[in-house]
Amino acid sequence: MQKYEKLEKIGEGTYGTVFKAKNRETLEIVALKRVRLDDDDEGVPSSALREICLLKELKHKNVVRLHDVVHSERKLTLVFEYCDQDLKKYFDACNGEIDPDIVKSFMCQLLRGIAFCHSNNVLHRDLKPQNLLINKNGELKLADFGLARAFGFPVRFYSAEVVTLWYRPPDVLFGAKMYSTSIDMWSAGCIFAELANAGRPLFPGNDDDDQLKRIFKLLGTPTEETWPGLTQLPNYRPFPMYHVSTTWQQVVPKLNSKGRDLLQKLLVCYPADRLSAEDSLQHPYFVDVNPSVK
Amino acid sequence: MEQHLSLLCCETDVTGKTKRALLDPVLLNDNRVLANLLATEDKYLPHTCYFNCVQTDIQPYMRKMVTEWMAEVCSEHKMEEEVFPLSVNYLDRFLSIKDIKRTRLQLLGAGCMFLASKLKETTPISGEQLVIYTDNSITLEDLTDMESWILLLLKWDLSAVVPNDFLDHVLHRMPFNKYDAHIIKRRAQTIAALCATDCKFMQTPPSMIACSAIACALKHLKPHSETDLASLHHITGIDMDLIRSCVEQVDQTVRACMASAAQTDQHVSKHEEQKQEQPTTPTDVRDINILGVDNTVSSSQAAQPYVY
Repeated sequence: MQKYEKLEKIGEGTYGTVFKAKNRETLEIVALKRVRLDDDDEGVPSSALREICLLKELKHKNVVRLHDVVHSERKLTLVFEYCDQDLKKYFDACNGEIDPDIVKSFMCQLLRGIAFCHSNNVLHRDLKPQNLLINKNGELKLADFGLARAFGFPVRFYSAEVVTLWYRPPDVLFGAKMYSTSIDMWSAGCIFAELANAGRPLFPGNDDDDQLKRIFKLLGTPTEETWPGLTQLPNYRPFPMYHVSTTWQQVVPKLNSKGRDLLQKLLVCYPADRLSAEDSLQHPYFVDVNPSVK
Repeated sequence: MEQHLSLLCCETDVTGKTKRALLDPVLLNDNRVLANLLATEDKYLPHTCYFNCVQTDIQPYMRKMVTEWMAEVCSEHKMEEEVFPLSVNYLDRFLSIKDIKRTRLQLLGAGCMFLASKLKETTPISGEQLVIYTDNSITLEDLTDMESWILLLLKWDLSAVVPNDFLDHVLHRMPFNKYDAHIIKRRAQTIAALCATDCKFMQTPPSMIACSAIACALKHLKPHSETDLASLHHITGIDMDLIRSCVEQVDQTVRACMASAAQTDQHVSKHEEQKQEQPTTPTDVRDINILGVDNTVSSSQAAQPYVY
């Protein structure tokens, strides 16, 4: 690890500490993610193994780049491209205001990153502002693939503490344990609304029930008619029939009508009707997206 | 309505330990996914037939022995279907770079399964269990050392494409109903696993194995049809003559396996009382033996039905 000079601790990832560091030769600033291997008879942890193997395949400007892996006896160091902040910190610093063009640009980049992952058979499964990195050129990158899986992986159960509830689709909350592409699209919808409201989360639920109530109060309680198979889901339980009382204009007042249309097509309870990443990018909302993003 | 139900993304509880998602139409209908698989598969092929130019001790029959042992472990432990072909891919890629002694071959096989299981399974096999499967001929430390060594040599490139990755994509584009596709897929999986133990397919691209395994599985269900070959060609872009000749080779491998299984069967029945009637017709024997292959290579399928 002589190659890198540690500068400061940035935070804690899913399975290790993250440092900002400098490559001594090229002076390039990088992020080092350290995974300890001692006290573990099982060798390289599977989450680290998956993140490395998946990210090695995913080379796209909207996916964080893994430069290198340094494997020593007691630890594993992942060398990532450095980004100044994540979207969560960006929200904290934006003073309740984000320019509509920036909202559009971030959303477009988020969808591009997702579309790229999906076309490479990879689901992220844990999209949230903390996992979206932003560099000083306004580029947004998907990060933290510790929970990601290539299509074909069985799902892993995570308790509510591990995966934030707020970005979880209702089908997963009903125990569908679904991990198809639509899981990422619901999260993208939640993040879209949060962007449009300059960092105010759309469904900040406290527990599974509260989360579902918040969703149904906005979208209406689904029924077997609007969602075939709903009542057969493993953790299905009836909820009061909420009727839609809030308009989308009230939900995201600063978003234009095309944006609201896209948002509605992402936030669909029935997973099969949720718009795909590729189709979302064709939505008229993006017609005039900043050419530098294109 | 049926269309809608098929889009419903819920999982089925298969073995109690693993949840499996239903097939995702967004991934299956997206031609880019198949195109990406076809474009990346070559990158993960072992680049030499290593027996002559890299290995000084390892012989083809040893590879056959170790891969058959790996198939047995994967089946015994009811591992995910992809774990076996994936670990064989690591093994071949490792052996095409590094010369090792025959005494280390089983350790290498164990290390490859250790990694493939971590990558593909919800609850990966533990190092300790693998050590037991080798009859304690390796230690846990040997195993983790071997893991590091494999990672170093393969440069962490473990998301290799295997024939199983293509089966759903190809079958989805063929004119079968779901029930037939399900049966064909299971047979093709078995045939593809069998090919993984045969040295002659070491450098055959996974898409080609998948197509040939499907064609071979179809042969047992209905008379041979050129239209099936044509649609396999249409879906994957692989030359029809290439598919045809690969199907022939795969068929030989299947026959050879069936012949040896039949021999064992006869052996067994001699020891038993000869109550049995006349030997069954060849077609029936074939079916029984296909099941026999199922049992040895991937009996886990019986416990883990795929649900569409």
